[in-house]
Amino acid sequence: MLDKLKDNMQSKENTVEKNDLFARLKEIKTAGIEKINATFLPEELQLVRANLIGRKGKVTEILKSVGQASPEVRKILGQAANEVKQVLSDAIDQHNEHLLDSLSSVDGEVDITLPGIVPQQGGLHPITQICYDLNDAFNSLGFEVFSEPEITSELFAFDNLNFPPEHPARESMDTYWIKGHDEGHGAKRLCMRPHLTGASVRYLQQHGAPARFVYPGRVYRNETTDARHERAFFQYEALIVDKDFSFASGKILVKTILDKVFGRDVKVRMRVGYFPFVEPGFEIDMLCLVCDGAGCKVCKHVGWIEVMPGGTPHPNVLKAAGLDPSVWSGFYINIGLDRLVMMRYGVDDVRLFHSADLRFLNQFK
Amino acid sequence: MKLSLNWIKKYVNLPKDLTMTKLSYDLTMCTVEVEDTVSIKKNLNGFVVGRILTVESHPDADKLRVCKVDVGDTEPSTIVCGGVNLAPNQLTVVAVPGAMVSWHGEGDPVEIKPSKLRGVMSYGMICSSNEIGLEDLFPTTQPAEIMDITNFDIKPGTPVAEALDLDDIIIDIDNKSLTNRPDLWGHYGMARELAAIYGCQLKPFDKVELPKTTDGLSIVIDSKECCARYAGLVVKNIKNVPSPFAIQSLLWRVGVRPISLPVDITNYVMLATGQPTHGFDRNHIKGSIHVRRAFAGEKLELLDGDILTLTTEDLVIADEKAAVALAGVMGGKLDSILSETTELIVEVANFDALSIRRTAQRFDLRTEASSRFEKGIDPQRVDDALAVIVSMLNREFPEAEISGYVDNYPMPLEEAKIRVSLTFLRKRLGKELSEQQIDKYLKSLGFEVSFNGDDMLVKVPSWRSTGDISIPDDILEEIARLMGYENFEYVPPTVVLEKAINQRGACMERALREYLAFRCGMQEIFTYPWIEDEYILASGADMSEMLELSMPPAPNESHLRSTLVPGLLKSVFTNLRYYESFRIFELTQIFKNNNYHSINETLEMLPNMARHLGAAFVGNDARVLFREAKGVVEHMHTGTQMEKLSFAQIQKPMWAEDKLWINILLNDELVGEIGLVSPKVTRDAGIRRSVTVIFELDVEKLKPLASRNNVFTHLPEYPRVNFDLSITFDESVKWSDIYEVAFKTGSVKDVRFIDEYRGSQIGENKKSVTFRTWIGSDEGTLTSDKIDLVTKQIAKKLNKRLGGDIRGL
Repeated sequence: MLDKLKDNMQSKENTVEKNDLFARLKEIKTAGIEKINATFLPEELQLVRANLIGRKGKVTEILKSVGQASPEVRKILGQAANEVKQVLSDAIDQHNEHLLDSLSSVDGEVDITLPGIVPQQGGLHPITQICYDLNDAFNSLGFEVFSEPEITSELFAFDNLNFPPEHPARESMDTYWIKGHDEGHGAKRLCMRPHLTGASVRYLQQHGAPARFVYPGRVYRNETTDARHERAFFQYEALIVDKDFSFASGKILVKTILDKVFGRDVKVRMRVGYFPFVEPGFEIDMLCLVCDGAGCKVCKHVGWIEVMPGGTPHPNVLKAAGLDPSVWSGFYINIGLDRLVMMRYGVDDVRLFHSADLRFLNQFK
Repeated sequence: MKLSLNWIKKYVNLPKDLTMTKLSYDLTMCTVEVEDTVSIKKNLNGFVVGRILTVESHPDADKLRVCKVDVGDTEPSTIVCGGVNLAPNQLTVVAVPGAMVSWHGEGDPVEIKPSKLRGVMSYGMICSSNEIGLEDLFPTTQPAEIMDITNFDIKPGTPVAEALDLDDIIIDIDNKSLTNRPDLWGHYGMARELAAIYGCQLKPFDKVELPKTTDGLSIVIDSKECCARYAGLVVKNIKNVPSPFAIQSLLWRVGVRPISLPVDITNYVMLATGQPTHGFDRNHIKGSIHVRRAFAGEKLELLDGDILTLTTEDLVIADEKAAVALAGVMGGKLDSILSETTELIVEVANFDALSIRRTAQRFDLRTEASSRFEKGIDPQRVDDALAVIVSMLNREFPEAEISGYVDNYPMPLEEAKIRVSLTFLRKRLGKELSEQQIDKYLKSLGFEVSFNGDDMLVKVPSWRSTGDISIPDDILEEIARLMGYENFEYVPPTVVLEKAINQRGACMERALREYLAFRCGMQEIFTYPWIEDEYILASGADMSEMLELSMPPAPNESHLRSTLVPGLLKSVFTNLRYYESFRIFELTQIFKNNNYHSINETLEMLPNMARHLGAAFVGNDARVLFREAKGVVEHMHTGTQMEKLSFAQIQKPMWAEDKLWINILLNDELVGEIGLVSPKVTRDAGIRRSVTVIFELDVEKLKPLASRNNVFTHLPEYPRVNFDLSITFDESVKWSDIYEVAFKTGSVKDVRFIDEYRGSQIGENKKSVTFRTWIGSDEGTLTSDKIDLVTKQIAKKLNKRLGGDIRGL
């Protein structure tokens, strides 16, 4: 349109001055647009705006001079100048928007390889972690979680569990007796529990049968400690009691634990083992995960690793629990959580678990 | 326990194709745990018999000799040796070049190479008995003595294992797996077990003639409750000579040191049958043999030289004068087999397991005999032992006379009889077995079975009748283990679904731990329940209410924790070596010597035990740490579905300093405390840097909710606005008062503390408290006039009631 106007004007007999003004307008417009698009900062763009269409801008000056022109030129020139002003203003707005859109909200340089900000650090003890994983697995099979207090009596630690009086098996668990309560026998003689199994009778006495429950916890033995022996350690025990439960069904407990801990299908075998509170009793081995049974250092070239004892509750234990052994039977398993965690992660000193050493504990998230 | 495979094979013909791997596996699966099997022959690989032909001095070494030795090659070998007893014509043991040998019978084999010794080439090594692990069989009398086997009639070049008939395998059984099987503590018992596993025939012991006369031997059992049977043999015309090599070798293989033929025979019998026996010098025994309790303070010198002072609970063998043996444990030194002994009384007796066990424990004397007796041996086994002893004596001492025999067996053992229902077997095995199958398995183990409908009557052999087998479940195990546990396929159990598990207590404990670990960024720790006294003393905890261990892990660790604070102090102390600031917690039981109560059994009175939760916050700024700890407790109910806790200063914890402490309450009941550990406690616990804030809570008192108790309120229809105020108060003004006043102003919806400031601009004993107030209306958006009005109202009320001073208002 501007060109058309200019042509019209040129076709008429007009002064050189008018032609000059039109030429300047055209020039301002072209240069202005170029300048606008070459601007990279919004502030700079504001300067450009002032320079072009601000109060002392180039276009504004032409508009101001329009009054001095002849009436017919005045009209055309005014129109043309206003049109240029509008075009430039639009271009500035458009470019400004473009600049704002592509602008970063961060000042200065950034190093995106800096590490992320660490969230709240904290965690559960590795034994608690495994214990809760196992609880979840057993919960999903309908097992309750039970616990008994850590001080118990000879009655629950030994008598109820078919340990004959002064039997060697009692000695294999060197027990911490409580001063002032260590003279009597049975219910009167108190100790730090040497194993978890006593809790099974407590549960059964309270809840009856059928029953499915786990009872993890800490047990105590009066031993000399070293990298593989501890005085306080954790066990995980599970018991299922049902009518005519065959020992061949007991494998479910074993598999639940091992598959959960190792995250894969673990082959197990049951072989004969003697524990007073079970009949028949088993030693349960798992196929060595390092050599897959071929024999290696870890499994002492046997191919199998002894992981837990288990078996059918001895009739005397069921009787102690108030159950008729001709009706009820079941299956126990008991696994040492410390050893399991050590196997799982390659921890080489069992004493670390009670060290409260954060350098150790912080490794298990 | 060590067993010799050759010895076992004396009693049973094992399958020809049976490998050691299979035998170990089967024994481990069905009976007892095989820990190891060791081939003696393999350990002696590479050692051959050599005959020394000449011994000459070494040109350059005084202590070395240069020998020509016939090692079975066409030419003799030159061997340089430092042996002090080298002599021509001597038979010895040589490691020849190229042989792979294990020194001392252990470790990885190494190759023997010809080598130069002080300039003379030596082709092999002449060995001493300890270099090849045979020092117990061929004891040396001086250092640098080479092994001398000149007494053996062997061709040079013969491998030593073959020459000495040592081609045997030693089976090592884990003793723990044998505690319930007294019948397996001898080779015959294990042979019987293998015969059952492989369906082979077990050979009976030799039939022997026992004398009909006593030859003056008289046995009186005074303590019948401790001795079910006592048999004695009188043997004349024996000599205390070394045993033939074959007997020595057998004993040595299973870890028993050969002593002399009469002693070795008594040991042999025990290792064969599991029945310990003992020999007395007959000429030392005056009058009758008595089996009686010791007199209080009675002295007895044992074979090992120890002189014991006995108690009236110890069982002894005595003659008319004095005790001559500690029954079932060890013989007396003065009256057992002596070097001049020519007449023996051989004791084959059965002693009560418990009595032997107590005596062995009392004197810390675990012998081969006591460890067998304490498992409970059947008295019938005396017959087996007598049979073996008589045939051994006949063979080894042809000139000896067994002149007297007494068997005092007042109450013969009743073999156990067990009635087992076939239905029971079927259900518990999960398998149907025919009568023939059951009969086959049980018979192979020595049981006798008769069937009658659903019942079978099982007669248990004597060697399994001392407690091992007594109920139907024992019979089930015998059948199942012989069938092989691997042959029972997994049967998925069927269950009845009744109701879902709902254990709020257990869930809350877990939620607490997870809240602390994952929401509050704290690390769970475990500590021992016993704590060093120094930390108890540091914490100021009351030792008198603590329980103690009879035999503590250490003298200063006898007290059981009644609070988690001492353990936390110790953990803070140890971790400060590596960390400047951290947060730890422990949730576990504490113990107190009070509130005795029963949970299952009225006779069983258990002490006060409660689960406590303890936590420590370690850093530099006590005020911040305290508020962090308080925040953790304040918001505990949000992550754990339990009732909300509140706070009040009621009773300062012993370990806290005077200012920063507060009690934790649940419905007005005291359940715990938070506090800054006082400088004294900190110092006593050895903590140097950093400050520690601790909280401890009685978890038993927390109340889990039956379900979530979130409350929904409608979202505000009109926007809320907030503004911050900083107001100066006297130090005595508490935030809880400020909050109360501000919150109770009209239109105020919420008031939250932001910060407090102290400084010179504010003035002494003053603080500036900044807080944020949210206001809003349910009728419409608040105008700025209204907002100004509420702001002024709050400021005015705080000024009037609490003396608050806001500048510019």
